[in-house]
Amino acid sequence: MADHAAKWTRSLAAAAARARALDVGDQEAVAELGAGLEELWQSVPDGLPGVGSLMERCLYGLQVLYQGGIAQPADLAAAISEALAAMLGVADGSNAAPNAMLREADRLETLLLASEHERGMAGTDGSEAPAAGEAPAPEAVPASLDDVASRLVLLEGDATEEWTLLQAALARLVPGLPRPVQDVLAPACVDLASFLAAGGDGDALRRELGGALEQALLLLEEGGPANAQRRRPAADAKPATAEPVAADVDPEADHVESELPTEIVLGDDADPEFIGEFLTESNEYIEDSEGALLTLESDPQDMEAVNRVFRAFHTIKGTSAFLGLDAVSELAHKAETVLSRVRDGEIQFTHQYADLALRSVDMLKDLLVRLQDRAPGDCIPLPADFANLLFDLMHPESAAVDPSTKKRDAAEAAAATPRADARAGMEAAAGEGAAAKASSRIESSVRVRTDRLDRLIDMVGELVIAHSIVAQDEVVDEGRHHDLAKKVAHTGKIVRDLQDLSMSMRMVPLKGTFQKMARLVRDLAVKGSKEVQFQRIGEDTEIDRNMVDLINDPLVHMIRNAVDHGIEPPDERAAADKPRQGRVILTAYHAGGNVIVELADDGRGLDRRRIVDKAVERGIIESDKGMSDTDVFNLIFEAGFSTAARVTDVSGRGVGMDVVRRNIESLHGRVDISSRLGRGTTFSVRLPLTMAITDGMLVCVGDQRYIVPSLNIQMNLRPERDNIATVLKQGEMLKLRGDLLPLYRLHRIFGISGAIENPCHGAILVMDDGDVRFAVLVDELLGKLQVVTKPLGNLLGRVPGISGGAILGDGRVGLILDPAGLSNLARNCQSSGSECAGAVGAVT
Amino acid sequence: MMETKAEIPAVESAETDAAIKSRVCKGGKFLTFFLDEEEYALEILKVHEIIGMMPITPVPRTPDYVLGVLNLRGKVIPVLDLRTKFGMEKVAWDDETCIIVVQINDRQVGTVVDKVSEVLDIANDDIEDTPAFGTEVNTDFILGIGKSEGRVKLLLDIDKVLTSDELAELNAATAPAEA
Repeated sequence: MADHAAKWTRSLAAAAARARALDVGDQEAVAELGAGLEELWQSVPDGLPGVGSLMERCLYGLQVLYQGGIAQPADLAAAISEALAAMLGVADGSNAAPNAMLREADRLETLLLASEHERGMAGTDGSEAPAAGEAPAPEAVPASLDDVASRLVLLEGDATEEWTLLQAALARLVPGLPRPVQDVLAPACVDLASFLAAGGDGDALRRELGGALEQALLLLEEGGPANAQRRRPAADAKPATAEPVAADVDPEADHVESELPTEIVLGDDADPEFIGEFLTESNEYIEDSEGALLTLESDPQDMEAVNRVFRAFHTIKGTSAFLGLDAVSELAHKAETVLSRVRDGEIQFTHQYADLALRSVDMLKDLLVRLQDRAPGDCIPLPADFANLLFDLMHPESAAVDPSTKKRDAAEAAAATPRADARAGMEAAAGEGAAAKASSRIESSVRVRTDRLDRLIDMVGELVIAHSIVAQDEVVDEGRHHDLAKKVAHTGKIVRDLQDLSMSMRMVPLKGTFQKMARLVRDLAVKGSKEVQFQRIGEDTEIDRNMVDLINDPLVHMIRNAVDHGIEPPDERAAADKPRQGRVILTAYHAGGNVIVELADDGRGLDRRRIVDKAVERGIIESDKGMSDTDVFNLIFEAGFSTAARVTDVSGRGVGMDVVRRNIESLHGRVDISSRLGRGTTFSVRLPLTMAITDGMLVCVGDQRYIVPSLNIQMNLRPERDNIATVLKQGEMLKLRGDLLPLYRLHRIFGISGAIENPCHGAILVMDDGDVRFAVLVDELLGKLQVVTKPLGNLLGRVPGISGGAILGDGRVGLILDPAGLSNLARNCQSSGSECAGAVGAVT
Repeated sequence: MMETKAEIPAVESAETDAAIKSRVCKGGKFLTFFLDEEEYALEILKVHEIIGMMPITPVPRTPDYVLGVLNLRGKVIPVLDLRTKFGMEKVAWDDETCIIVVQINDRQVGTVVDKVSEVLDIANDDIEDTPAFGTEVNTDFILGIGKSEGRVKLLLDIDKVLTSDELAELNAATAPAEA
């Protein structure tokens, strides 16, 4: 061994001498020296730490020299010569300090790097260069950070040479990296150098370096191609054949654009249909992921929830990239990257990540809305926040300082720890979610266009009518053909099943809406520094799909009211002997052909006194004499009514509850309030199962039949002569318990002949339309019925006084009266004093 | 107009949708029907179906030629009386009276006619422009006059019938009342 070392040292001395005298222009001499060094490199004796790797750098340097094309070949040659001298000093013991070698290594490295840059710019591909037998590829030097990292993993703690190699690699790579990455790596590099110089705990160093590398890699990955390109030349300049790992092209790097997009451009070939489908699909995913995120916030360990969100982003990313919606796919990609780290257990899903993810979801929603109804070739500006969000997604660790969170932090500071409690409060919902998760199976479904579905429902309705006509046919009905009657009855059962089924096809569960409300409660609670536990019960209750969207608004207002006005701040609650955490419970269930949605809170409750005072002040009422609690509470539905002492950006403007009542009434529903001061308030919304079905009263006038919506009928009566009074011989009034109501004759308004003229022989319906009450004379009430409202067709547009048509039991069309239009019409008729009967076409 | 039409070979009678939509009167298949003694023709592609008379529910406060609405297998569609629309006198309905359901875009409208006659091809060459009758006669609804088997058929511009001013006025008059 000693012989070998001595011999090697001699060879090295010779090589060093040759290097000192090297003529950089003489390619043959360079190649010869290279061959000699290669031999030396392959036979480095034991006990010479760092020599191997430095030798390798020298070899590489010679290779560069051989290929030429660098500005200062003499400098490089000198560096190589110095390096060899330093090695010689170590090998023969004349200068045992490894520092000299390190210094030389650094110098060499710098020069090599510079040469690589030069050659990179000149477009020369270094990988083609070396002839066989010439200086071989120094394969041992890691060429990228990934390589360094993988090398590090395999590294033995005390293998100094390997450490040196790593250091060399880092020294070469680091200057080419972006500043933040350099900063990350710098401390580890310093430690590495001191380790090599003085020794120390290899394992600790490995951990440190590993951590730094990981962080650096992540930064690079998120930093996009600008960085990727900067680290690429280093790899490219290496002989590619010898560097299998260097070829590892980061697939993401190509995907990301170096500049942030500022708008979405729809390509000319963008297919609106595709985009439409993409929007529908994405909206579903977004809704789902929103729910999952809320679950996740309360239970960060719920990997299924992470996966759900992950899948959502992933799918959106894929589809949007396919459609060329770069901004969307970019955002989805970034969000996905963050989530993948959560999924892989790299980071804990804290509220900071939840905010980030929710912000991404909101941004996606925003983008999707902007994409709606765009034509190919359109440019869609991106929201102002877009760039910020992308940045935060790239640096999720620092995103905590985003403005919304700051605000939240302030709120947190102000109100002890509402957050944690609020989150704990979500647990109930989450527990429920977990149970649902366990039981939920993936149901396969088919997307059907709504018009087809409506058509199917129409057809089934017709089938029912056609069947009843057959069943009532005298041949079937008279009882002589027993078998036929049995068969018809059997068909009848099938038809009824079919009808039930077809009606249920329009029904969707309220789950989606309820999930949105959970999000709302969370946000409101945080904003208002309240602690709120939100519970959802019966979210599988089904309701007509057209109504799902329509109940959204009223629910939002009710929830705002409950959280903002109802639930007290935690301290106030504690003072009132209530749990600090408020409860808001949203319940849905079926009852008597209706859907009931209840929103209960255990907050302040409504203060009768204050409502009355406010109402008197606003002149809505004069006093509360004779008013029941319900009457008083209903005052809060008046427009502009708010008892809130201060207006927040959430509520207190007195708009909300007014909207609630209007919207719910437009859905043919009703809202009731019950409340106990200090104990809480419950809003109960009663909605029909479907908008399509109207409860009505069938009335006849002359030979015509009309349907009056039950909702608008207050009462019906047969008047006495005394109850009718005329005004100026033109207008008629109905005296009803001291009230005077205008009396309209339907046959006059609609110009129907053959109707009963004497009110005492006909029937009078007292109808109301909002605040207006009036009485309508018809011939006869034929009975109650439920009908499916259908439009009269575009051609006729809106006919005054008629809100639509419906197929009656005998297959004919019955017209549904519109009370508002009717009273307008009647007033117009009377004011103009003219005969208001419109022209009626030929009678059937 | 006429010259260009004449140049198109008669073979073109197999029409494309686009050609129909362009509302240039061209040859093709027509459904013919009678109103009084006159024979009218309607582009066959606009005819959805032909049904016999069925109960019609009058809609109050609509023009007199709007007979009302009927139930077409679960769909409520309006029905017009072409006789009234064209200022002819009313006649009692009989077994031959029927309703041609016309489909334009997504809307269907029923039109009551005295009787339907046949489906026939009318070549481009057999179609002539509507002669001008002066202001006395309103020929707005006539696209052209087709000749076939020695008889004259009035090619009806059904779109115009259905989008005529009176209906537009009706809708316009309705709108403010609703507000």
